[in-house]
Amino acid sequence: MTWRLITEDGVSAAYGLAADEAVTQRVGRDLSPQTVRLYTYRSHCALVGRFQTVENEVHLDYCRRHGIEVNRRPTGGGAIIMGADQLGVALMLARSDRTAYGRAREIMAQFSRGLLWALNELGIRAAFRRKNDLEVDCRKIAGLGLYRHPQGGLLFHASLLVDLDIPLMLRVLKTPFEKISDKQIRTVAERMTTVRRELGRAIEVAEVREAVARGFARAFELELTPGTFDADERQAIRELETRKYRNPEWIFQTADVPEAEGRAVLKTDGGLLDVRVSLAGRTIKAAYIRGDFFANEQAITDLEAHLRWHSSDPAAVRETVSRVYHQHRHDWSLISLSSLCEAIEQAIEHGAHHLNQSGEQPYGCFVTPARYHA
Amino acid sequence: MANSTFSAPTDRAYDRDTHLWVKKDTTTGRLIVGIDALMLDTFGDLAYIQLPEVGTPIRRGDAIGSLEAAKMTSEIIAPVSGILIGVNEAVLQDPMKVNQDPYESGWLFAVDGTDWENERQHLVHDPAEIAAWMQAEAERMNAQQNLDA
Repeated sequence: MTWRLITEDGVSAAYGLAADEAVTQRVGRDLSPQTVRLYTYRSHCALVGRFQTVENEVHLDYCRRHGIEVNRRPTGGGAIIMGADQLGVALMLARSDRTAYGRAREIMAQFSRGLLWALNELGIRAAFRRKNDLEVDCRKIAGLGLYRHPQGGLLFHASLLVDLDIPLMLRVLKTPFEKISDKQIRTVAERMTTVRRELGRAIEVAEVREAVARGFARAFELELTPGTFDADERQAIRELETRKYRNPEWIFQTADVPEAEGRAVLKTDGGLLDVRVSLAGRTIKAAYIRGDFFANEQAITDLEAHLRWHSSDPAAVRETVSRVYHQHRHDWSLISLSSLCEAIEQAIEHGAHHLNQSGEQPYGCFVTPARYHA
Repeated sequence: MANSTFSAPTDRAYDRDTHLWVKKDTTTGRLIVGIDALMLDTFGDLAYIQLPEVGTPIRRGDAIGSLEAAKMTSEIIAPVSGILIGVNEAVLQDPMKVNQDPYESGWLFAVDGTDWENERQHLVHDPAEIAAWMQAEAERMNAQQNLDA
């Protein structure tokens, strides 16, 4: 089996996203070959997930002042920054019998194998974990997303962190914290890692890209043939770029899903727990557990990751917290399961209270014109 | 090793490709549309659903909305043609209700169909055929997932 390999650098956000979607559509209709595209964006751009609201995720004033493009991915998940040191990975495939009925998580696990091969070859032991990310010792090194095109194409997206400017990321993306501090930067650094950090050397993006190409070839036992987009593909990309990815109605569509932050500070026998959650309707977008207590940092980040994109239903939250807590029972020191549950539930209740005060129901649906579907 | 089975009530019709179901309300004549249990199993818990505005004309086969679960997004393809005359407010407020009760309270939208009798023929609609079809689909899914395991 052969896949086409396309490499590009310094692309705009609109072009980069339009190329992935337009070619995926064509692959689904058997008009283009199955393709793996390994590319970088022009530094920097901010890409929100399919259903996120830009204003809630991105500091737009900062982006405008610094020429940072903002756009919306067709794939799900959270907001990211992309640039010369973040390798974009797009698999544009036909939905075969092997993927037509695959569970989302299983499809992502399957396609992430190429990245795991590559990281392993470079000397990094990463794993597919939790909310569909690749991690090294509980630190995220790559985010994954998936989009099933109605005409049969399947787009697997990944952003592999070769390096990351955390202070810049915190200036571009919104977090529940009021200000950017050294402590906040340390907090993020404890939850994310990069290829350069793991290797302890300034490896070039090109070297990582070559390893990723070899990784996909080996993981899927196929040959990658270097190529470029043909004239028909370039035309399809231009059309989609103009109609969708340069259209403010697509980029800045607003969700009816109300969002809110919740916080709880709880004094416990084991120390002070300070929990913050970001809610989108009844879904927990993110959870941050801080305070003044002793615990293994990996136990904290593991729990935070399990709560990301999780139902805020109290019973479901308790079940997950209990399960993850017991996996790290000895890492929580004097913090009890009951106090941890109580703090998280209070933070969720606080956020839900804000949702109710806004006078809106926590909708999980919003409406945009159907013309933005490719 | 996965070995899933999925229910499929026989009082409605199913789209073979998208696993959306369509049930005609015998009182009002409107067509109710939802997602079947097998497809929901592939998605996991739904976090977001996007649908067109009530009053929008829709055509069978067109992408009319989107949904997201577990960082996977997918289009919602209209299984029938007509005018969208309603969306399920409860589902709008809590998409996970679709997972909890896909065949009753978790319906997605209602359509005033314009070509139902003809389009019905393209769906799996014979009660005797539905169970066998769903079983075959489940076996296909299980076979794929065991292959991937």
